[in-house]
Amino acid sequence: MVATLYGWIVAAPAIPNDVGGKYVAGAYIVFVLLLLIYVSIMAMKLARIERGLREVAEVAEQRKEDATAGETTPAEVKS
Amino acid sequence: MGADPSMYGKGLRPLSIATPVAFAITLSLVFFYAPIEADQGFLQKIFYLHVPLAITALCGFIVGGIFAVLHLRRDDPRYDAYSYVSIHISVIYACGALLTGSIWAKGSWGHWWVWNEPTLVSFLIVFLLYATYYPFRYAIEDRQRQARYASVFAITAGAFVPLNFLAVRMSESLVHPRVFATAEGGLPGSMLLTFLCSIASMALLWTTLVKFELSAKSAQGQLKRLRRALDAPTGPPTSRIAPEVH
Repeated sequence: MVATLYGWIVAAPAIPNDVGGKYVAGAYIVFVLLLLIYVSIMAMKLARIERGLREVAEVAEQRKEDATAGETTPAEVKS
Repeated sequence: MGADPSMYGKGLRPLSIATPVAFAITLSLVFFYAPIEADQGFLQKIFYLHVPLAITALCGFIVGGIFAVLHLRRDDPRYDAYSYVSIHISVIYACGALLTGSIWAKGSWGHWWVWNEPTLVSFLIVFLLYATYYPFRYAIEDRQRQARYASVFAITAGAFVPLNFLAVRMSESLVHPRVFATAEGGLPGSMLLTFLCSIASMALLWTTLVKFELSAKSAQGQLKRLRRALDAPTGPPTSRIAPEVH
């Protein structure tokens, strides 16, 4: 199976045999690198958003806890 | 206005699946189906990357201009965001087109850059024109004025793109090859199919990236709203150039 596939790839007419191969590889690598750089920048942005969301969630939870504590304290004093 | 948070991310999932599938098909066609060109040899395979990048970038600039028109007509900040993101992704594409074109030029002509070739120089002019979009936005503090002026810029520059393309097309070029049909004849069927698939894949990737960027900006805007609503610390300052998306 692997040998057949290898034979097919080698026999394919578009496999580089001349000097153009390195330039073609270079161009496609540049494209992939550009994409990777973009994705990395976006990943950093998303990480920042996630951090911000966590902070906001902590603030919201803290306020909820404070509010609950404020509500329960008078009841505890009564009993 | 633009309150539905799912709006920007809508359709992102099928696009994210379709884009790599389209690229896998296109790359298979490029390397295993399209024949090697008689004149340029294997080097011509760069065209399936370079030309779609350039075409999509130019179309993206025009799309940015159209969104800018909509922004000015409807006074909806969403269209400013669309325009900004379209131009942003197109600038990245143009950068890729310049780099891959330069690599092709080195392999084919023996030079990284040729100044007397109108197609190259005009594309560089368009790229540099759009590279000034960011400092232009950054120079204006007021968000609304920034959006309005940026829209005017996007419309003017967007109108310049097809004019520039036509001017170059009409000029006599001796060296830069033409991909589509010319007086000497066009691409053979297998090459044309591969080329059209390359353009479709590149356009699909452009759409996915635009949607992705808009979703990220929307998430950032929603977070800001949430901070304001909770009266929480505002966090680190976000970009002054990018429009706020809610």
